[in-house]
Amino acid sequence: MIKTKMKIMVGLLALLLLLPAAAFAADTVVSTDWLVANQSKVIVVDIRKVEDYNSGHVPGAVNVFYGVWAIQKAGLLNELPADDDLRDIISATGIEPATNVVVVGTIATWADKVNITRVAWTLKYAGVANIAILDGGFEKWVADKKPISKDAVKPKAKPYRGAFNKAILVNKAYVLASIGKATIVDDREPDFYSGAKKLEFVARPGHIKGAVNLPVYAIYNADGTFKPMAELEAMAKKAVGEDKSREIIVYCDSGRFASAWWYLLSETFSYKNVKVYDGSVQDFAKDPSAPLEP
Amino acid sequence: MVKRPSDDLALCGECHQEIAATYKKSLHYTTIGQRNRVVKRMSKEETKIFDEKVFEKSCRSCHATCGDCHVKSPSIGGVSVGLISKHKFVRRDEGKTCAFCHGGRVYPEYTGEYGGNADVHYQKGMMCMECHTADEVHGDGKAYALKEEVRDRPRCTDCHEPGRETKLTAQVAHLKHSQTASCFACHSAGEYRNCYDCHLGGGSQAKPGFFLGTSPRNHKEITTLRIIPTVRDSFKPAGIQQANFDALPNYWDSPIHNIRKRTERTRNCDTCHEERKGFLTMETLLKNSSRTNLELIHKTKSIPVSK
Repeated sequence: MIKTKMKIMVGLLALLLLLPAAAFAADTVVSTDWLVANQSKVIVVDIRKVEDYNSGHVPGAVNVFYGVWAIQKAGLLNELPADDDLRDIISATGIEPATNVVVVGTIATWADKVNITRVAWTLKYAGVANIAILDGGFEKWVADKKPISKDAVKPKAKPYRGAFNKAILVNKAYVLASIGKATIVDDREPDFYSGAKKLEFVARPGHIKGAVNLPVYAIYNADGTFKPMAELEAMAKKAVGEDKSREIIVYCDSGRFASAWWYLLSETFSYKNVKVYDGSVQDFAKDPSAPLEP
Repeated sequence: MVKRPSDDLALCGECHQEIAATYKKSLHYTTIGQRNRVVKRMSKEETKIFDEKVFEKSCRSCHATCGDCHVKSPSIGGVSVGLISKHKFVRRDEGKTCAFCHGGRVYPEYTGEYGGNADVHYQKGMMCMECHTADEVHGDGKAYALKEEVRDRPRCTDCHEPGRETKLTAQVAHLKHSQTASCFACHSAGEYRNCYDCHLGGGSQAKPGFFLGTSPRNHKEITTLRIIPTVRDSFKPAGIQQANFDALPNYWDSPIHNIRKRTERTRNCDTCHEERKGFLTMETLLKNSSRTNLELIHKTKSIPVSK
């Protein structure tokens, strides 16, 4: 009898501990109003350049520029820092595995927009459980006349000891082995998917054999905010199907645009097994034997 | 309308007398450092031509007025972002001032936008003037010939005192290399911008590179070297052949602003001592370059630590 009561109590305690995470996860793309209301419960990470942060930011936000989260490595443009470096970066912000984090960036360019989701993916890779991003970026915060601070925040560093979630990152060998098994998503523009166009740093045109096209450009409104989630989910279902347990691998040219659809599929629409190939076509196309098709 | 009103330092000096007086002699205002280095490649006659035809008409145009840092972003190649904060005077805004003149190499390397690794100090929110003080920027009243002569330039050890490392391995590594390698030699994150073939025909070309070698200014020290794009006929259009071209190397020791705690060299001693990665060699040395460059080739001692 006592044992049963203990079990129930432990179960209830576990449920209580999970509640904040669940409530936080319901808002993976948060509004400026939400952030104002919940500011005391989150750490805001501003990924804009230091000088932009210094000229005004969400009060209390800590600043770690995008270029710290994604580095150039081994000839690839957007790679993860080494695990120990990533731990140092997170430690310096005071973020812990259970911290609620909201990533804020600028939406000035397409690359800026997806930098926000790329940092969210990186934090998730490092094992931070509760991540959200600010819809419309800092520009929306300003447009909505929310409070702005110029006081640079010096966060209290804490050693970050989260368990890395390495399953959400895959390499070329993994992608090659997944052709015909997983759903591979190319989230570039249709002209790049078809091979009609390619970026200079990409060795060969075309998409990875069997990949479906789900362009990033379809995600955002003109003001940089996300389109209605129902519309985006319908778009996702059309491309990748409704089986939420199916393995999905998202890639783009160099690994940052891929994070946008990864974020929506994995975090917002609850697909359970979504991965990013961060070397993307920049890496894949270097191998002349890796199958690309028009 | 006066084009650059604060070019007349007496104007600002009416209120800021002391700063105007020191600034007048500072390298930011005189830009004399650019001249004094390159003329070592020239004969006396050539120097005279250089001063008249090149320095005054070209190099000197880069000098910064008070307004270039406190009112309007400096104009580089005719491009400026305009007023820094409407028409208000600003104390400092490095992203719109320092970053413009030093935006070809230093600043984008510092932010990671060139080379792909942000400097750890930028990561921590530090801007230029956290290390480079107002006194350094405005000058201390002495007319230095070259920036290397300035005594109070920032040093890594100003903040990172040797002997206070938390890890024994770091302490040992610093102790072992303190007289033989600069901080940059091990802590520069990787490739930085190098310009080639300046003024040669269609102008210079830039590409990323990483070079380690003996410092031309301290032959006991290995450091990061940056290519100086001056080639034998850089000033040919002005009638200058550079009679003493070989007096100077084509690489200068350079404090690369892309510092990281861990790099491939701090992670593994073999990177330098076995693989000799990044070190200048006869094969990688610039072709048809100064003979002085040969002095910069360094052969590291083999200590196969990882084996």
